[in-house]
Amino acid sequence: MLAFFVRRFLSLLPTLALVLVIVFSLVRLIPGDPAVTLLGPGATDNQIAALRLQLNLDAPAVMQFWHYVIGLVHGDLGVSLKSGQPVLNEIMLRLPATLEIAVAAVLAAIVIGTPIGVLSATRPNSGFDHSIRILSLTGVSMPAFLLALVLQLIFATWLGWLPVSGRMSSYVFVDHVTGFAVIDAWLSGEPGAVRSALLHMVLPVTVLAAFLAATLGRFVRATMLETLAEDYVRTARAKGLTRREVVYRHALRTSLLPAITVVGLKFAEMLGGAILTETIFSWPGIGRFMFEAIRNRDYPVIQGATLVFALLFMLTSLMVDLMYALLDPRVRRKMN
Amino acid sequence: MKDLIHFLRRNTLATVGAGLLAVLLVAVIVGPMFVQSPTAIDIGNKLLPPGPGHWLGTDGFGRDMLSRIIHGGRYTLAIGILVVGIAFAVGVFFGLIAGVAGGIVDTIIMRIVDAMLSFPALVLAIALAAAFGPSLENAMIAVAITMAPQFARVARSQALSVSSRLYVDAAQALGLGQGRILIHYILVNAIGPLLVQASLNVGSAILQTASLGFLGLGAQPPMAEWGADVSANLSLARSSPWTALGPGFAILLAVLSFNLIGDALADWFNPRRRSQIG
Repeated sequence: MLAFFVRRFLSLLPTLALVLVIVFSLVRLIPGDPAVTLLGPGATDNQIAALRLQLNLDAPAVMQFWHYVIGLVHGDLGVSLKSGQPVLNEIMLRLPATLEIAVAAVLAAIVIGTPIGVLSATRPNSGFDHSIRILSLTGVSMPAFLLALVLQLIFATWLGWLPVSGRMSSYVFVDHVTGFAVIDAWLSGEPGAVRSALLHMVLPVTVLAAFLAATLGRFVRATMLETLAEDYVRTARAKGLTRREVVYRHALRTSLLPAITVVGLKFAEMLGGAILTETIFSWPGIGRFMFEAIRNRDYPVIQGATLVFALLFMLTSLMVDLMYALLDPRVRRKMN
Repeated sequence: MKDLIHFLRRNTLATVGAGLLAVLLVAVIVGPMFVQSPTAIDIGNKLLPPGPGHWLGTDGFGRDMLSRIIHGGRYTLAIGILVVGIAFAVGVFFGLIAGVAGGIVDTIIMRIVDAMLSFPALVLAIALAAAFGPSLENAMIAVAITMAPQFARVARSQALSVSSRLYVDAAQALGLGQGRILIHYILVNAIGPLLVQASLNVGSAILQTASLGFLGLGAQPPMAEWGADVSANLSLARSSPWTALGPGFAILLAVLSFNLIGDALADWFNPRRRSQIG
C-alpha cells in the first residue's frame, strides 16, 4: 500500500511541474507590458519600474520561473497589489470558509444524490425516473448564480426564514480561532452563535451541493442500470435472493466504486462554482477573494488562488485513487 | 441516420430538448424584428414589472428585458457553437497526433493535457480570461482552451483503437499520405464519440461563458449578454427580481435544451443503453 502511495505521488510530479508552468505563464499572457496593464492608466514610470522589479519581469523567463518555484517552496505566493499583504496569508485566512461549505456540500450531495440514483435505476422509465432525470438535468444545467439568486429571493427575501448573505449575524461576536465559523461559534459558547453559523450555511451549501448531487444521481443511475444487467446479478436473483438484497448488497457496491471518482473529480468543479456562490452570498472564502481580485486586477492574487485551486484538485484526485486502491483489491494489484 | 431520428423521436426527453431549442432558435432569428432596440434607454419607464408593452419588464435604465434576452440569445447560441467548434478543432488535432504518432510526442501532448485538466475548468477559464483582458471574444477563447483537453483525450483514445485496424494498415500499404490517412481513415471512423462529447459540451460552454460574463470577464456593457445582464442587475434583484431572473432562466433553458439532446445522443452511442431504452 505504501509503495502504491509513493508511486502514485511521484507520478504527480511532472504534472505538478507543468501546472506551475501554466500558473507562472498567466501573468506573461497579459498583452503588452504586464506592469503597465496591472497598474492601469495614470501610473508613474517609477511605479511601473518598481512593479517590474517586484514581479521580476526584467530577468530571462527561465530565471523568472526558477525564482517563482524557489519562492513557492518557501511559501511565497507573491504580494497582493491591493492590500500589500502576502497572498499566502490572505488565502490561508479565507480557505477555512471555503472548505467549510465545500465539505458540507459534498456530504449533502452524497446523501441526496446516491439514493436518488438508486431509486431511479431500480424503476427505469417510470414516472419517478423521468421526473428525477429532468430534475437532475436541470440541476446540471442551472448556472450556480441563478440558483443562488432564486433561493435567496424565496427563502431570505420573501419568506425570511434564512439570512440573505454573510457568515454570522452581525450581533454575534465570535473570536477567530480555527477559521471555521461553526467550530469557532461552538468554542465561543456564545448563545445562538452555532445556530446562526449553521443557518448562514444552508443556502450556499445547497447551491454548491445541487450540481454535485445532480451529477452524482445521474452517474449512479447509469452505472446501476449497467450493473443490474450483469450476469452475476441474475445469478444472485436465481439463487433466491430478494430484489432488495440484490440491489443493496451486490449491485450498489459495484456501482458506488466509480461514483467515488465522480465525487472526487466534481469536487474540484464545485470549488470553481464556489467563486460564483461565494460572490452572491458574500461568503468570505477564496472564491469571493478571487472575484474581488478580478475586479481589482490584482493579478498575484488571481495567480495564487488559481494555484491553490489546482493543488486542491490534485490532492483530491490523489485521495480518490488511494481510496479506490483501499476499497478495490483488483486496482491495487494492477497498480503494483 | 433514420434510426437515430426514430430513436430521438421516441425519446421524450430528447423531443422536449429539440422543441425547446427550436423555440429558442425561432425567438433569436425572428424575434429581433418585433422588439425594440436592446440598448434603447428610457429612464421614465425604468424598472417596470412585466406587463403589456414590456412583457418581461424593464431594467434600471428602462431597457426592455425581452428585447435584451432575445438579442442576448443570438450571442449565447453563437457562443455555445463557436466555443465548442474551437475546442473541437484544437483538441482533436492534438489528440489525433498524439494517438497516431505515439512515443515522445504522445507523452508530451498528454502531459500537457493532464496538467490542464488539473485545474477546475472554471478557475482556469477565469485566470486565462483575466490575463487576456475582459471581453466576450477573450472569454470564449479562454473557455475553448479549457475545453480542448477533453477532446484531445477522446480523440487520442479513438485514434489508438482505430489506427490498429486492418483498413488503416491497408491504406498505409497502398502508400497513401499521412494526412490523408489521418483525416479519411482515422478521423472519419473516430467521429461518433467526439460528436457526443461536442453535443454534451455545448451546454457547458454556454454556462461557463455566461459565468465569466457574470464575473465581469466576458461581454462588457451595454452589450446584451445573459450572464453579464444577471450580474449587472444583481443589486436590483431584491426589489425588481425580473431584471436578473429573466436572463438567468434564459441561460438555464438554453443549456437544458442542449443537455437534453446531448444526453439522448450519448444513450444512442452506448449500444447497451440504446437497447434498454429504444
